[in-house]
Amino acid sequence: MSLDYVKFSNGFEKFMPKEYRDLVEHGPFGKKVTVSQVGSFKEVLEEHPMCAGCAMTLFIRLAMVAFPNPEDTITVGTAGCGRLAISQAAIPFVYGNYGDQNGVASGLSRGLRLRFGDKPKDVVVMAGDGGTADIGFQQVLHSWFRKERFTTIMLDNEVYGNTGGQESGMTNRGAVLKMAPLGKKFEKMDMLQMAKVAGCAYVATVVPNNPRRVESVIKKAVLIAREVGSTYIQAYTSCNIEYAIPTDKVMEDAKTVENDRYQFTEYVSDEAKQYLSERYGYKEYLPKPAAPAGAIPGKA
Amino acid sequence: MYLVADISIEICAAKSCKLCTQYCPEANTILYSDEMGKDQGFKYGSAYVAVDRCKGCAQCVWVCDNMAKNNAIKMIMIDQLPKAALTDNVTYGEKSTTAVLASPVVG
Repeated sequence: MSLDYVKFSNGFEKFMPKEYRDLVEHGPFGKKVTVSQVGSFKEVLEEHPMCAGCAMTLFIRLAMVAFPNPEDTITVGTAGCGRLAISQAAIPFVYGNYGDQNGVASGLSRGLRLRFGDKPKDVVVMAGDGGTADIGFQQVLHSWFRKERFTTIMLDNEVYGNTGGQESGMTNRGAVLKMAPLGKKFEKMDMLQMAKVAGCAYVATVVPNNPRRVESVIKKAVLIAREVGSTYIQAYTSCNIEYAIPTDKVMEDAKTVENDRYQFTEYVSDEAKQYLSERYGYKEYLPKPAAPAGAIPGKA
Repeated sequence: MYLVADISIEICAAKSCKLCTQYCPEANTILYSDEMGKDQGFKYGSAYVAVDRCKGCAQCVWVCDNMAKNNAIKMIMIDQLPKAALTDNVTYGEKSTTAVLASPVVG
């Protein structure tokens, strides 16, 4: 939990595996790295058992590049595909029992604030659509109503991908899956609206089709969660196994879905806008200059 | 045998769009080397694949063909690679380690 936590113990340097040495010497800790620099530095995410071509893996990878301070971040996850990759990174990972992740993160975030005071320690929950909208729904909503200061990211693959293809609350109406052969009979849950009603300071949808946008959304959400309140990101990360998308067509699918029903939307509360512009210099949220004296509003 | 991605240095070093490095779902797999292209007289560096991490999904091929329109990446059998880059041989440029922040608590 500091810049020192990845370093060699005296005398052990030559025995450490190459991946670890690269991480110490060329990792992102204590530096400002961006998505466009990817490939020239050692990323914190290591090899993991997720499927080839999985869009969720891509999103997790981009998210870990985008964390503003990876050395001061803890990720929290729960059962589901995502935790197979999230746990294989040089960022501490806490596993919440199924559905508990937002409760665990609430305690963790409060504890870190007690222990470290003003020094920011970011807590980021990354769970699937089942963990967030079905089984963990109660704890997710309660953490938002309590305005707990951490980021919740839903990896929305619209199916229980890890257990063979059951429908989830986030599956689209009519979708036919292996374990839902008659098609889903209900609408997809509107978690975005619920997040706004529950008082989240930042709510965004994103598709990993656009890496720089993923980076910007994650950065804003983590920074706002430091002081203002809960933040929520809903990311479309298709399951190429359960929805039978050929691996080389995953980005084509992401593009189609983004244009169809997963357009980029972003809600930033006024308090969060002020915080971002004053504390971190986000120019787009600076208050607009007042109209010149004598100008009549609405008339050109 | 199995398929892995192979990047043509001639095409990549002429364009250097770096899109494949951003769209590969696997971390530390498609890497970028400034020296690789310049050593051979090209303007830019080139991306290359750490083949022992490549899962063969071919997403980079789609991105290179359809988004970058460079057609520089092909899937080929692992035993057909003339010079395979393994993770053990991967080196990172000094450039990636220079931007140390004065204060780590910055967005």
